[in-house]
Parts: sequence; structure tokens; C-alpha cells
Amino acid sequence: MNNFAYVRANDIDSALNLIRTRPKARFLAGGTNLLDLWKMGVEQPETVIDISRLGLTDIAPRPDGTGLRIGALARNSDLAEHSLVLSQFPVLSRALLAGASPQLRNAATVGGNLLQRTRCPYFYDPAFPSCNKRKPGSGCGALNGYNRSHAILGQSNQCIATNPSDMSVALAVLDAQVRVIGPGGERVIPISEFHRLPGDQPELDTILQPNELITAVDLPPMADTKHAVYLKVRDRSLYAFALVSVAAALTIENGSITSARIALGGVAHKPWRVPEAEILIKGVRPDHAAFDMVADRLLQGAHAYRYNQYKLPLARKSVIRALSVASAST
Amino acid sequence: MAQSPSVLGTPHQRVDGKFKVTGTATYASDFKIDRMAYACLIQSTIASGTVTRIDQSEAERAPGVIAILTRQNAPKLQALPEELTANGVPGETRLPFQDDQVYFQGQHLGAVIAETFEQAREAAALVRVNYQPGELRTDLLGLADEAIEPRISGGRVKLQDKRGDVDWVWANMPQVRLVDETYSTPIENHNPIEPGAALAVWDGKDHLTLHVSTRGVDLTQKVVASAFGLPIENVRIVCPFLGGHFGSKGFSWSYFLVAVAAAQITDRPVRLVLSRPQMFDSMGQRARTIQTIGLAADENGKLAALKHSTLTHSSMIDQYTEPCGSLTRLTYSCPNIQINHSLVQLDFTTPCPMRAPGEAPGFFALESAMDELAVKLNIDPMEFRVRNYADKDEFDQRPWSSKHLKECYDRGASKFGWSSRNPKPGSTRDPDGRLVGWGMATAIYAANQQPAAAKAILSNDGSIVVQSATHESGTGTYTMMTQFVADTLGVPMERVRFELGDTRFPPAPVNGGSWLTASVGPAVVAACNALRDKLISLAVEGPSAPLSGQSRTDIVIADGRISSAKDTSRSVSFSDLVANTGNPTLEADGSTKPGDAYQKLAFFSFGAIFAEVRVDPDLGEVRVTRVVGVYDVGKILNPLLARSQMLSGITFGIGMALMEGAVPDMATGRTVNANLAEYHVPVFADIPPEFVIEFLDIPDTNMADNGARGLGEIGIVGTPAAIANAIYHATGKRIRDLPITPDKLV
Repeated sequence: MNNFAYVRANDIDSALNLIRTRPKARFLAGGTNLLDLWKMGVEQPETVIDISRLGLTDIAPRPDGTGLRIGALARNSDLAEHSLVLSQFPVLSRALLAGASPQLRNAATVGGNLLQRTRCPYFYDPAFPSCNKRKPGSGCGALNGYNRSHAILGQSNQCIATNPSDMSVALAVLDAQVRVIGPGGERVIPISEFHRLPGDQPELDTILQPNELITAVDLPPMADTKHAVYLKVRDRSLYAFALVSVAAALTIENGSITSARIALGGVAHKPWRVPEAEILIKGVRPDHAAFDMVADRLLQGAHAYRYNQYKLPLARKSVIRALSVASAST
Repeated sequence: MAQSPSVLGTPHQRVDGKFKVTGTATYASDFKIDRMAYACLIQSTIASGTVTRIDQSEAERAPGVIAILTRQNAPKLQALPEELTANGVPGETRLPFQDDQVYFQGQHLGAVIAETFEQAREAAALVRVNYQPGELRTDLLGLADEAIEPRISGGRVKLQDKRGDVDWVWANMPQVRLVDETYSTPIENHNPIEPGAALAVWDGKDHLTLHVSTRGVDLTQKVVASAFGLPIENVRIVCPFLGGHFGSKGFSWSYFLVAVAAAQITDRPVRLVLSRPQMFDSMGQRARTIQTIGLAADENGKLAALKHSTLTHSSMIDQYTEPCGSLTRLTYSCPNIQINHSLVQLDFTTPCPMRAPGEAPGFFALESAMDELAVKLNIDPMEFRVRNYADKDEFDQRPWSSKHLKECYDRGASKFGWSSRNPKPGSTRDPDGRLVGWGMATAIYAANQQPAAAKAILSNDGSIVVQSATHESGTGTYTMMTQFVADTLGVPMERVRFELGDTRFPPAPVNGGSWLTASVGPAVVAACNALRDKLISLAVEGPSAPLSGQSRTDIVIADGRISSAKDTSRSVSFSDLVANTGNPTLEADGSTKPGDAYQKLAFFSFGAIFAEVRVDPDLGEVRVTRVVGVYDVGKILNPLLARSQMLSGITFGIGMALMEGAVPDMATGRTVNANLAEYHVPVFADIPPEFVIEFLDIPDTNMADNGARGLGEIGIVGTPAAIANAIYHATGKRIRDLPITPDKLV
């Protein structure tokens, strides 16, 4: 761990000013991922800007009184247990509680969770020579290496890493909007566009610009919370990253599906949503055939590697299970 | 002679518990010394090749750096003697800094010594090492034809063995009664909660104190004294508490020699603590095993032949061999048995024993195969084991010292409800639609005793200190030995202090093999008996003795006093007896070694483990929902400690069955999951909600003193197979490759 300067930002303006003027600077919020990466030598910031005093911890309805606005520095634990989240967005609570450990959730923030980096071992340990995400142009160690946890959808031959966040998968089906502020002012990024696929720039996880700061995540109101689930398949009961996860939110009227939102975790560089798949089951009865059809479309083009072949059947079965549970819940 | 009621067999809480919960128990990295400096290792990032250059220019300029230790300025270490290196003994026998060869990822090439831990770590990251990479050997199966067949492992376990004629049976048995399958287990790392830690303190040029996390202070003393060419009495090893070891620690490991060398070249006390990732490359691991089990039975379900072949690996510099077949030769009655082990040397770190070395992976294979053959023969798996019950150790033709395994089967089956098991796989579902499966396995573990010694010291204030160079790895040594002292001398436990983990104390064996209680207990008892004899002499002998004229046998010893049995008003306290001598203390020594019974009898502990699993039929997630383990381990000396040991052992087995495994990257030899987020061990939610552990509590009268055979590792033995067998029963899928993760079941 290198020597570094520590500065504390007292407000958003000073945070933006510091990140713009200090070389190799990083924002520090909960630190659960940054410190890990730093100790491993993946991150080597020269300045850390402590943003924990900026406020940004409120969890309340949006200014128009609907939905929810979640401050970027709200702790994962606080968010998971918040009464408005439990009553209006239970799928978010379940996804949060499926992630990490209580100790980590107590420290981790919503903004930090959005920016959580991949657990690909070739990325995480700089002693591995090849990782295009860590060292662009060095190759992908996972492609022919140990790729059990890796992507089957949307990957490139430059990078087959997955996004490890559970929260982001739930945010994807909630059509969350990420509010950011930067030198160019404020902007709002739909969650579906916030994370990116690796393409030939796997070093970029998101479209967040340098010197931008996440301030909040907005959730539009959810019409029907009954038929929403978060399913996570993992190697042990708790404190394990998803092999595959599924967030699903259905609305069902008169025995037919009127809308469906489905996102997969653990399979791609970002939460995987396919609008075409969701349209397929609009107006149909929730049954196995319908779910199978959705799974087909969601997994269209999936490609697995030596050690993650299992994800092809597991992702399919997980989608079917999640939709079965979602449609059956009353 | 009468005495106070025994505290042996009572559920006494840990005497060191309050030190642990208040943070006053001193582990190796808790010791602080003036002028202490911190070392951080410089490690190889290739697995095979030669170091061509170490560029330390940037590191030298880093703040706080005192010195950089590499081969250039390291002391010349002396090769270890043969007793510490021959016959596949565990531990790293190659000493650091002796040449420029690299044999595995993470090999210690040096260390940075700095004023703070953070400075040392940062400077170590600035050291640049250039290599000439060599050919990489990481493929166990691919290199199987280069395997050697070592004769002995761990200095004592025979690796190639047979009786009868397995091949003849094999050629002549009907196919239907055969099982011939391959089972594999991954590399596993010990990961005790306390990592390796050392604080080296030189006193002048030729005296050294090393605080180190070790389960073998005496062995560590030999290693350090040999390597640094010091008279053994000039080296003191101290370790009053261990945060677990699971078989790591206690052998020759490079890191504490690096700490000693670092202290030598800087003339400062130096602390070196391993990081969690370093626990995957610097202190041993269990090697991967690929085992083939061949079983043949006759028409009555009686075993006719048993083959157990193991292919495993060591490092390029050592030949420790995971002895998977060691107990296969005597677990069941079978006239024809063949045991083989083949070893390939790979570019991985040196393996060493890990809880139930050999038996843990070996019994996954053997007990899975037994289940497979029972299914094939359409015999209940437990009944099949009973039909092949061994009434003696058929290999060495010795009677058992004491064996009540049938009672374990019966009681376990009854507790578990085994008789209501529908043998058809996939026949039961729970209300959530999960498949329910029941499986069982036999457990066995050697009941060893080692030579040990102890010293008992009674002070004129009546307090008693007993010392032995044994260890407290978290299992309850302080408590158990205090119980022995209190019991033998008839004093309250509060008046006793047991001291351990110091080479200044009388010698005791390495803490391993589940033999600590059975080895050190008798020595402690012997020392206390000797002390008691001295006290009785002081009490009754000679005209001025307080109980003058009393016969030695006609007395009562209780509550720290010796009294006349006939006239209880004639009584003297221990403290007065010491005071009467004019000396501040009265001391006595005791030492014990295994008796003749060890030549004549086979000493083993036994058990039966039953497991219930629930398996998600689509998603492959397995939960162990119920475990019943019944054990015949001799007399139970402290039910609380015994139960904790078995909880831990069985839980370890659950981890082995379902989640543990270190994965090397085949292209670099580097572990991809060298952290506790991705090297999975059970979390609390993985512990079965119904966890029944019972002991027969039948004293083994052939054991020294108290009839206790020791326990701990036996909890792991059989547990992975019981779970795998339950998964088969639930799903019809036979998974022969651990760990059984969801990907293997979807």
C-alpha cells in the first residue's frame, strides 16, 4: 500500500474541486472495495478524498412525492432495512441482504456498491500478468484460465469478467436512475446505461466520467410489489458471490402477465436485461412454457468457457425458478 | 487413601476463556518489544525458474526502511539434519536464501525490514524481481507417468502395503459385485484464524528468543537451532496461545527463519506476520488427491478384495505424501487388500498434514465406494458395513484395545431414524420441493500416545503450577490439564495454573494426531503423583512430621490438605508442608511414554456419522439439515470441550464436502482464490440446524491412566462421504469430485 494524502471534502463543490485538481485521486466512501483493491496493489491512489461527511445519506420519496431517492452515501444495511424499501421495493432489500456480510453492508454505501469492481482473480491479483481491465493490452488471463465465475453474455475477447453486485441487479429491474454531478453539471443516467459491456475497453466498468460524483439513486414507484423476487445461487449459504442471480418483477392481472422486468446477475459485465424477452411474455399466462421462452430469449447468444459451462443450464433454471416464484406469490 | 471427587468427566468451562474474551491472551503477534521492527516478505511471482536480479533501489529509498534482506546479505543457514528432512517429513526442508531457484509461487526471496508494518509492506511492493522462467509443472494427471512411489510419509506412515491377492479376486469376481471408481479432492488450505506470526529477539550473537505461532515448540527449537548453528539450549521458543492450526504451523517453515535472519542483520527485534493470501503459499496445504477404489464382495455382501490407489503431489523440494490409504487397510474385514500411493512433484508450495491427514480425503473415497457397492448389492449401507465389521486389526493381526463401533452404528441409526429410510434415490421431497437424502459413513482415527514430560511446582502459598512444553491451539489444553492436576492432587481448579508453550518446560510432542490429551495428560498425572508422594512423605515420615506415625495409605487428601483418615483433626495443608521444608517451593517431575500395550494392541477410535441433506433439484444448492455423530473415543474427560471439538471437526467435514478448495491457475501455478471471500469455509448459516453429537464414553482400559483416547480429527473422517452419499440418495447423482458445489449438480 503506497503512501498517500488524505483529504476530507466538506461539501460537494469541494469534493469535485479536489478530484479535479489532485493527481490520481479517488473518492473514499465505505472503502469496502477500494481498500481491498488498494491492499492488493490494484488501486494506488495518491490522494483519497473522504466524502463520508457530505451527507447524501437520506432515503426518502423523490421531490415529487413518489418513488424513492436514495442518497449515494446511504449504507447498504440502512437501505436494506428502511421501511419504505421494505414496503415498496422489497426486491431491493432482498438483493442487498443477499450480498456480502453484515459487517460489510454496515460500511458499504450505495454509490460504492454501484462502482464495485469485478472479482475476477486475474484482475484482483496484480501478480497475474494478464488482465486487460487492470492493465489494458496485457491480455485476458481468464479466457483460457480459471473462468468458473465468468461471463456468458455480452463479454468480449478482451474481457469475460462479471459484475459482482447484487444490489445493481435489483436496481436494474427497478429502472433506477443514477444521479451524478461533475464539472459539466448534473446528469441522470438510467441504470441500464450506467454499467457498460467490456468491448475493447474493459478498463471502463461504467460510463461515469472522470471527476464525476454519484449523488443519489432514484427509483420510480413500483406498481406491484407482490410479484417481485431476488434469487441468488451461490456456493455457501451466505457471504458468497452469486454464481447466477435473478431479479424479477412481474405484474399480473386477471391471470395474465401485464409487465415483466427481469435482470440476471453473475452472467455479464453488467446486470443483464433484455427488453425483447420481457415483451415476449406480456399478455400471456405465467406458466413453465412462457418462462422457458423468456429464458431462451434472455440467454440468446450465450457462450460459456471451460469452467463455466454450468452457467448455461443454471441461468436458464434460475430464470424459470424466479419467475415461477414471482408469479406464484400472493 | 481417599480423595476429593474427581473433576475429570465434568463439563468445566475453559480456564483461559476470560483471557480470550478480554483480549489478554497473548498470541505470537501480540508480543511487543522495545525497538521492534517489522518485516514484510518479498515473494516470487513465478512458480518455476531462476531469480536473475532483485532490484531494490526504489525500496531502499522508501520511508522507514531499515534493511532489505535477500540472498546477497542473508546469513548462511546450515542444512537441517536428516531427522528433520528424510522420509517425507512435513514442512519445508529447503531453507530460504540458499540458491536462486524458484520452486513455487510465493516462495520467500527476502524481506523488507522497516520501522512500521505499513512501511515494510509498501517497500516490499517496490522491490522488482527479474526471473528466467523455467518449465512449469502444474498438471497432476498429465505428469502422472513421472510419479514416484514413496515408501513412507510423515516419517512413519507406510504408503505401499498389501495382504492376500487382490488381483486374483479381481480377475475372478462377477462384474456385478465390483466397484472401481475414481474420487478426487482439491488442494485445501488450513486457514486457521490466526495466521503464521513470529517475533525474533536476539540476545547477543548466540542467544535467541522466538515468539512464534507453532504447535511444536520443541521441533521449532530444533529447526531454528540447526539452521542458525546455535546450541539448542540457546534457542527459546515461546507460544502460550495458538489461534488454531488445523495441521499447519509447527514444522519447518521459511517465514520464521526469515524473521530470525532479519533480526540478525538489523540487530533489532523483528516481527513478521503472514497475510491471509500468504497462508496459501507459506505454511503448507493439503495436496490434491486422485484416488481409485476397487471393491469386490461375495454373494453375501462380504468384502473379498479392496484396492486403494492414490495419486497426489508434493512440491519440487519436498516429498510429504497425503497418506489417503493409511487406515483403509484395517477399517473393514477383508482378506485381500492393496494400498498404493504415487507422488508427482509439482511447482506448488510444500504440502503438509491438514486435519485428519490421509483419512479425510481417503475416507471420502473409501466410504463413497462402500456406499456405491451397497447400492449395487441392494444392501442397506449401514448393514453392509456391519457385515464387514473387523473384529481385530487384520493387517497387523492385533486385537483392538477397545472397539464399540457397532454400538455407534446402532445408536446413531436410532437417533437419526435410519430404519425409515427409503433406499430409492430421489424418493423424498420436503414441502419446498427440495430433494431429501440420507447418507452415512464410518469414522476411524488412530489413538496415539507420544512420550511427554511435565513438572509440578507447589508453592508455600498452596498454589500449584504445572508446566509442559505442550500447546493450546484453542481446543482446551489449559483446561484439560488443569483438570488432571486438580484431580490428581485433590485441589480446587482455581489453585492450579498450567503453563505451556515454552521450550524451558519439560518436553512434549507436537500438537497433532489427536494425541495431546492421551500423551500430556499422563505426564501431568505422573508429575502430580510424584509431588503427592513427596507431600505424603513430608506429612507422615519422621518423628517431627505433622502426621507422624500415620501409614501412607491411611490418609485423606482433599482441598489441598492431607488428613488422617482415622482422626480428621490431624491435618496439614500443602502450603505448611512446603513451608516446613524451608524452601519456597516443592517440585516434582513426571514423564511418560507409550507402554507395552502399544506393541500388542491396535489403538483406534471409532464413530458413525449420519447426514441429511436437502438439494435444490434445479439449482443444485445443497444444505446439510441434520447430522448425527456417535463416537467411541474412550472416556470423556470434559463433555463441553469434547463436544466443541466434534462440532468443529464435523463442520470442517461439511466444508470439505461442499465448498473448500484452493484453485491453482494452471498457466502460472498461482492460487486464484487466496482469500476468505472466495476460499469458502462454512459460515454459521451452513451449520446444520439439528446437530447431534454423542459419545459412548466407555473408558479404554488399555490406554494410559484415564482411558481417554483423544479426539478432534475423527469428526472430519467420514463426514464428506456421509454428505456425498446423502446427495446421491437425494438426487441419484454420484459426485466423486469434491467439493460438491452447485455446478456439479445442475
